[in-house]
Amino acid sequence: MASVLQSEPISVGVLFSETGITSVVEKTQRRAVSLAIDEINANGVAGEFELKPVFCDPASDPKRYAAEAERLIAQGVRFIFGCYMSSARRAVLPIVERAGALLFYPTLYEGFEFSANCVYSGAAPNQNSLMLADYASEHFGGRHYFVGSNYVFPYESNRIMRDLLTARGCTVLEERYISLDPSADDVAHIVDEIDRLKPDAVFSTVVGEGAVRLYQQYALQDQTRARSPILSLTTGEPEVEEMGADAAEGHFTCAPYFSSLPGSANQRFVTAYRSVHGAHAPLSACTEAAYFQVYLFAEALRQGGPDHILQNLPVVEFGAPQGRVRVDRSTQHTFLTPRIGRVNASGTFDVVYDHGIPVRPDPYTVEPEESGWSRFVGSLR
Amino acid sequence: MAQFQLKSLRDLFVVVAHPPDPDSQLVIQQFERIGCRTEAAWPIPRDLPPSTDVIVAAIGHDHHKALKTSLKRAGSSRPDVIALADYENPAMLELMLDLEALAVISKPVRPFGILTNLVVARNLSITNKTLLARIRRLESRMEGQKKIAKAKSILMETQAISEKDAYKIIREQAMTKRISIDEMADAVIYAHDLLSGRTNDP
Repeated sequence: MASVLQSEPISVGVLFSETGITSVVEKTQRRAVSLAIDEINANGVAGEFELKPVFCDPASDPKRYAAEAERLIAQGVRFIFGCYMSSARRAVLPIVERAGALLFYPTLYEGFEFSANCVYSGAAPNQNSLMLADYASEHFGGRHYFVGSNYVFPYESNRIMRDLLTARGCTVLEERYISLDPSADDVAHIVDEIDRLKPDAVFSTVVGEGAVRLYQQYALQDQTRARSPILSLTTGEPEVEEMGADAAEGHFTCAPYFSSLPGSANQRFVTAYRSVHGAHAPLSACTEAAYFQVYLFAEALRQGGPDHILQNLPVVEFGAPQGRVRVDRSTQHTFLTPRIGRVNASGTFDVVYDHGIPVRPDPYTVEPEESGWSRFVGSLR
Repeated sequence: MAQFQLKSLRDLFVVVAHPPDPDSQLVIQQFERIGCRTEAAWPIPRDLPPSTDVIVAAIGHDHHKALKTSLKRAGSSRPDVIALADYENPAMLELMLDLEALAVISKPVRPFGILTNLVVARNLSITNKTLLARIRRLESRMEGQKKIAKAKSILMETQAISEKDAYKIIREQAMTKRISIDEMADAVIYAHDLLSGRTNDP
């Protein structure tokens, strides 16, 4: 038998942006992957294998993601942790597929995708939009306003959310899109319109820097802000820190993870992360997904070595900071527990809704309604 | 024009008629991910499983006849055909056309594109059916117009009345007898043929 640490280190690519419009979140994902790798190596989680990170900065540009992925593959890297926006994932996947490599993608997205060379650990629409629609229709009125960044995730998320809200007797007053890098005018125009239409809630799929500018501009309208909370699938602590807690307070986000969740696994994660990056370092569901997917990978690696990761992943169950997680064999997406949080004065989230059990991922659900609840709510065992 | 409703995707029953191999496995798995009820059928059964909506069929000379037979036997509930092709030489393309395939999945199979092909095939199928129904309606309406014209001219000739009056008579008679104007026109034509000693061949 081979003794401990006799194998060659396993190189893993870490492909998150340090700069550019989505670096706010991606920086935290990179740090989380880095932390997980350090912990895994220190504690021998991957058995005889040691993980060796190779860091890149694709600067929030899909072309750079592709170029960096090519570079990693050329160096013999077979496992890449990375990508935030769908456009980056779509740029990297063909390269990963050609090389027979594997991309671990730790970000919620719009669904309708399966690549045998990708493991998806962020929420699919049936793991967030459905719960947010229920909450919104129960707690706010029936008049909603949609605003999104101009790319694929907001378009599909809005299509789904429109169906869900309409089925609950709500109406969508307007559906607007602004550039990924919106000007002050773009944002002001949206805020003015919301001010005029007085919706009961604003469903925002504006991401990254755009979200920071939107919430800040919105905060200037006291009355509107008090009347119409912003509901999001993406805004987490990193964005909140960037925009300032006073700009974000009172708004809602639906995600599988908030740093305020109870439990020792989360305690350990938060403490370890913040001891390196500062006592108030922001954490989001994307950060947590980036963290736990390295653990899932390491456990699969320990069980069957680098050539059988996909076969072993679905049998690995990990006590992640959010609770138990596992990769679904059929879709290669992950069982996650949906929650809704409300931003408090200190810029963290108070959990106002907890689904309680992990929900099976269903990335091809056109209508989360009929297929969602009963059919796909399943506990891990 | 009727359009395929994306929401109905999950109600579809898909049969994959292809020898069991990694490609057919990938196809079946992807249809299952999409959420369709999916079944493998090989060798090609004489009768397809009841209420098959879509058949994903291997293209090849060996089983072409069997495939044609089972599609024919399905009659009016003939499923939509998506070809699963590995060659695109004219001999194979002819087979595909002969099956009236509405979309093609090519080998080696990738999951990406299967959903799109399914949606395109269903949409074409619905469009075709709608158009066909419309053509049948128009044809029968034309047939009716011809009959009415003929009945009118019979009445105009035998009764020495105007076209307008002839139509009025046909219409009133149809109303009293509670039959359609078409049927009344038929009756006039038959009666005339009978009285004038002709056979009523069309």
